[in-house]
Amino acid sequence: MPARKGPMCGVSLLAVLGFAWSALPLQGADTRVAAEDAQRVETVSRISPSVVAVVTGGGSGVLISADGYALTNFHVVAGQGPALRCGLPDGNLYHAVLVGLDRIGDVALIKLLPRKPEQKFPFAVLGNSDLVKVGDWSLALGNPFMLATDFTPTVTFGMVSGVKRYQYPERGMFEYTDCIQSDTSINPGNSGGPLFNLKGELIGINGRGSFDKRGRVNSGVGYAISINQIKNFLGHLKAGLLVDHASLGAVVASSSEEEGARPRVLVSGLIPSDAERRGLQLGDELVRFGGRSVTTVNQFKNVLGLYPKGWRVPLAIRRERESGGADTRQMLVRLMGYERQEPEAPQPPKPVPGRPGQPMPPAAPKPSADSPALKLFEAKAGYANWHFNKMERDRLLANLKVRSDFSAKTGDWVMRSKAYLGEKGREGSAVFRWAAGTGATPDRMMALIDGIDFTLEPLKTDLSAQSLRDPPGSGGLLSALYQVRQLFQKGGSGFVGDTSHGGMEPYYPPQEKDPEDWSVVRIDTEVLRVALGGVESKLFFQPGAEGYLLVGLEATLDRDEDPCEIHFGDYRPVDGKLLPFRIQISHAGRPYCRLEVQSWDLK
Amino acid sequence: MGSQMRMLVVGMLFLAPALLLADETLGEVASRVNPRLVKVYGSGGVKGLPGYGTGILVSADGYILTTANHLPDSSDLRVHLHDGTRLTAKVVASEPELDAALLKINDKHSPDGLPFFDIAQAAKTPTLIPGTGVLAFSNQFQIATRDEPMTVQRGVVAAVAQLYGRIGVFEAPYTGSVYVIDAITNNPGAAGGALTTRRGELVGLIGRELRNDQTQTWINYAIPVNATIAARGVAGRTLSLMELIEKKEAYRPSGRPDRAERSGQWNVRTGWTLVPAILDRTPPYIEEVEPASPAGRAGAKPDDLIVYIDGAPVPTISALYDILDKYRPGDKVQVEVRRLDRLHTLTVELEPVPKTPR
Repeated sequence: MPARKGPMCGVSLLAVLGFAWSALPLQGADTRVAAEDAQRVETVSRISPSVVAVVTGGGSGVLISADGYALTNFHVVAGQGPALRCGLPDGNLYHAVLVGLDRIGDVALIKLLPRKPEQKFPFAVLGNSDLVKVGDWSLALGNPFMLATDFTPTVTFGMVSGVKRYQYPERGMFEYTDCIQSDTSINPGNSGGPLFNLKGELIGINGRGSFDKRGRVNSGVGYAISINQIKNFLGHLKAGLLVDHASLGAVVASSSEEEGARPRVLVSGLIPSDAERRGLQLGDELVRFGGRSVTTVNQFKNVLGLYPKGWRVPLAIRRERESGGADTRQMLVRLMGYERQEPEAPQPPKPVPGRPGQPMPPAAPKPSADSPALKLFEAKAGYANWHFNKMERDRLLANLKVRSDFSAKTGDWVMRSKAYLGEKGREGSAVFRWAAGTGATPDRMMALIDGIDFTLEPLKTDLSAQSLRDPPGSGGLLSALYQVRQLFQKGGSGFVGDTSHGGMEPYYPPQEKDPEDWSVVRIDTEVLRVALGGVESKLFFQPGAEGYLLVGLEATLDRDEDPCEIHFGDYRPVDGKLLPFRIQISHAGRPYCRLEVQSWDLK
Repeated sequence: MGSQMRMLVVGMLFLAPALLLADETLGEVASRVNPRLVKVYGSGGVKGLPGYGTGILVSADGYILTTANHLPDSSDLRVHLHDGTRLTAKVVASEPELDAALLKINDKHSPDGLPFFDIAQAAKTPTLIPGTGVLAFSNQFQIATRDEPMTVQRGVVAAVAQLYGRIGVFEAPYTGSVYVIDAITNNPGAAGGALTTRRGELVGLIGRELRNDQTQTWINYAIPVNATIAARGVAGRTLSLMELIEKKEAYRPSGRPDRAERSGQWNVRTGWTLVPAILDRTPPYIEEVEPASPAGRAGAKPDDLIVYIDGAPVPTISALYDILDKYRPGDKVQVEVRRLDRLHTLTVELEPVPKTPR
């Protein structure tokens, strides 16, 4: 070991630890240790350029894409306004704009503006935080105490002390679920910065610690938001949303205080929710949630915290029979929101990274009102940055047009199909007609299903609850199919109000039989949110290199009811573009009808 | 710096054969250690004293070693096993001088086959040399509940030294050598946790949260499992964790009462009776003297005020008890008493307290 002058610095400490910790045969230990040290030094130099000093707010961050998207903590940027200043280890100060916010999960997505148009940013590779184990080494990079005026990150090194940890929210925010606990030094200013594994993959965002009597400096117990959780929210964040977390619609509790009992999680309360409609009952034992076994309330909350509001998550329960014994049931549950009301633009108190008498990062100068970042910002209630939502929405619609653009077909549309009705699939026929309105005649949506006529004027304002839900048992098929034509023919302008991007969601195509493992059939989709004639719909698009396909639609007439769910498959060319030839409709967990399309006739 | 570093390196080379045998990852070591620990819930939850802590299983039938802090002092003592099983426990013995308590899981559940640390085996491990890597396992901050695994931290033995810290205004009860750890291990709830080698061999019992009263800095330490300390006031007698666990009772030389029963009693007989200690600061006036007793033979009389014992001032009755606790039968003590307005020096040869039924 080379002698070093001056006080023991970080690097020599690392070297000592590396030496003490290597589990190596004695012979050759020196060279192996030296190799490990060299490897670590190489990793640090490779990952350092992606580390951001969030000057506005006094925290850290990490770049995750070449076009400048970076992750940080919500509590770092909260109250700082949409225009930020960030430093990179290249020594330069950059303008940055707030993109998306997850205030419960304490995550913010920002975007750095390149200094030159062609500039590509160095960025961190996202790892798989589910693979992180207790005993793994970890590296935290960031700007604790705002030490580096040239934005060179400080590196701290430590061990993963726990995984899948749960930390209660503070003042309704910053609930750290399924987080990574490490003894790597985390200090004021590290907030929002990256936690890497020794391969240099991003496994988490540092943001909290357990502090008690010793003050808000490193206590040997730091927590990082797992990157896998953030991945679930990333689509929402990129779409400029104020992200909401989820609740199940059920209160759960640890099993009785009975001595000698193994821990179990039981349903102790239920509110009207999708979980209740899917059949969850009081006293049910939660066995698996989101594919993970659940034995404590902490574990339940860990899983719940991984998902945004509205996602569907598999849930397995165990229910004791009155006659003895127990049944296991699986269900796919649509999660409710976590926040009681629609989120407003955030104005929270800024959590203090330090307290009086302790090192505080210096206050950053406010960016001037002519910051170029402001060109990328548009305020709108319910959104962190409406500008980015519009951008994402238009990108999605453009991708749809690549494969399903029928803007020239402004006349009547007719679809003839074989119909297989109900759970038994009783064979029949169905004809659908989208009658385009002209002048005084409004648009009409007509269907002849198994010999019964239905007609709906979707844009009429005083429609009865019944006609909106026609045909009976479908949950509103006519209303929903009308929206499909609007989409294919008019794109985003075929709706009223704001057509918006809804982030990313898993989509589960209908199955003959519930699969053992829902993740096998899951498709990752982008969501478009539309509204028309009092019907709010979520449209699910499967991204592809050659454009996007509409795979699903959920039309909701009333938030306390099940939606009409339509799955679109078997896309074939019609007039040079693609239309679905298999359409499966279900409602309230039961199949209503499967349509095998014989012809599309578009005027 | 250079010499320190060389010392560390030499230390590590010396330990290398023991340290480097294992191919186990730290995660595997952690999952082997974790089932041998329990989460303890007892008194606390006020004034910065956590109501939770950690314990080490030391037998297959559910004996648990932990710290003798406020936590076990509860009529509703509970432990959670690594698999989340919730059980009640009771205090079997408490040894204040080792700052250790031995708990036992309620016999009603007759637990058996629990994984545990063999303390007798662990105590054979030589005291670690500064510079040795260690792991610290505890349920600090109550991060884990039910079947969730303990927090594990890594550190290095920074020193093997004696504690001169204070807990609030109280002296550290343990006076032997401790492992001082360079990591922040002694957080709330960590007391009673396990300090192990890199291979998961138990070497220490993680101690309390302890702050140096002069510098206001916190120390992170563990009591070595092989610690042997001199019993206070009993020359030649030593105390060890191993003995506590084997005998399942605290050391009580004849008449030496448990800490809980100590008030007004001590392990030596003087033959004087003091005035009732009504206040904390009641001065030690002698009320009565048995003639055929050490005090009687030395010439003590009623109404004498005890002022010094072996030169140490004795301001109160409780101070007198504390001082006499340090003596054992057969010791001769110089007792200075004030009688009217003169000081008299008496030589009192202490006797053992006769065994009498309580």
